[in-house]
Amino acid sequence: MKQFMKKANFKGHLLTAISYMIPIVCGAGFIIAIGMAFGGKAQDSLVMGKFDFFQALATLGGKALGLLPVIIATGIAFSIAGKPGIAPGFVTGLAAVAISAGFIGGIIGGYIGGWLAFAVLRYVKVPSWAKGLMPTLIVPFLASLLSGLIMVYIVGTPVAWFTTWLTNLLTSMNGTSNLIFGGVLGALSIVDFGGPINKTAFAFALTLQAQGINGPVTALQLTNTATPIGFGFAYLVAKLLRKRIYTHEEVETLKSAVPMGVVNIVEGSIPIVMNDLVRGIVAAGLGGMCEGAILMSLSDGKGATVPFGGFLMLPTMGAKWWVGLLAIAANILVTGIVYALIKKNIPEGADEPVAAGAEDEEDLNLDDIQVM
Amino acid sequence: MKIVGVTACTIGIAHTYLAQQKLEDAAKAAGDDIKIETQGTIGIENALTAEDIKQADVVILAIDIKIADEERFKGKKVVKVSTETAIKSPNKLIAKLHEISGK
Repeated sequence: MKQFMKKANFKGHLLTAISYMIPIVCGAGFIIAIGMAFGGKAQDSLVMGKFDFFQALATLGGKALGLLPVIIATGIAFSIAGKPGIAPGFVTGLAAVAISAGFIGGIIGGYIGGWLAFAVLRYVKVPSWAKGLMPTLIVPFLASLLSGLIMVYIVGTPVAWFTTWLTNLLTSMNGTSNLIFGGVLGALSIVDFGGPINKTAFAFALTLQAQGINGPVTALQLTNTATPIGFGFAYLVAKLLRKRIYTHEEVETLKSAVPMGVVNIVEGSIPIVMNDLVRGIVAAGLGGMCEGAILMSLSDGKGATVPFGGFLMLPTMGAKWWVGLLAIAANILVTGIVYALIKKNIPEGADEPVAAGAEDEEDLNLDDIQVM
Repeated sequence: MKIVGVTACTIGIAHTYLAQQKLEDAAKAAGDDIKIETQGTIGIENALTAEDIKQADVVILAIDIKIADEERFKGKKVVKVSTETAIKSPNKLIAKLHEISGK
């Protein structure tokens, strides 16, 4: 079973798809955020002369974000089968949209389309005169047809039920469960700093946003926004406490990490956390938990209409924008103060870069190595 | 020993380059020649040439996602790990590469 899971590489294919999706989410997210901040509403279609500039922006962004199930399905299918996976990926992704199976449907559809394309490539044998038909007709037709039908008739209904059930459950949640859910989500979104857990939580929250539930993705992204700023704040707190917690290199890193945080990119703080993994994660996780809990409970689970943008997300929260600001502030304070308190003083003269020797490294994880 | 490799992570802005840096440092410390191509969100940088690959004793792929042009390394000794492994234990990984390639 373990061997099978490794071969099937579910996570790797999903991560590949997400790596294609992120630039689209960011680009479209910003476009829709600007549009909606100035009162634009996403339209079904844009008829010349009947819309203003901000409606155009909101519509452009909204349409692109509506394509996310298609993009995730195509990315997964491409990761599995290479170029032949693209056609069935598109078809299953659109099928997922058509039957309201949403983002989860897109993920499942991507695996189905990709593996079918892979299977057709491997097991359908054609005479040599038909070799040219294989990539142009046989693979895309068979894989798209089969995977599309599987989506519509078999997978679609239960996934659509599940999505509806989840949506209802989350929309009906009250104060306390929102508090707990937000806390868990906030902590999960930050414990690995933009790594796989963060991306899984992000995919989940994005799925919910596609169903019109905005709170979770807001909770998650505001944590990503606040954490790097929190590490910057820790520098000031440490100064007050007369502690030296950052090396010269780390201070340089912070100079780019903090502005990156403001626009919702958490990865800038990775080099700092890497130097003191456990304390960094504790500080960031506690901060994220407070942020998520505050946001989800005080805004009744409602959040920003855009899934990305850091501080730019706040205007799209409508009347509850102050909750977002409060949540970010709490996250910065908690992460900064906790990190400054628990981080040990760096030794005298540690601002010199030191190359770590092989002795103090973690042991090589042999499970992870594949030799070909 | 001559090592070539590719690093690529999910987001393509941080782990990709951290892994590149760590591998380069570790290889230099071990006295090896190394060239690492990065496939980040920005695209391919420090691209490996056919000549680089031909001369390499071993290929290290520190990747979390599907990369472009993996076929280039066909027939070579290829070692695949996650970016996390390359970042956390670069020196041990390079030692392992020596063991695998027998040099």
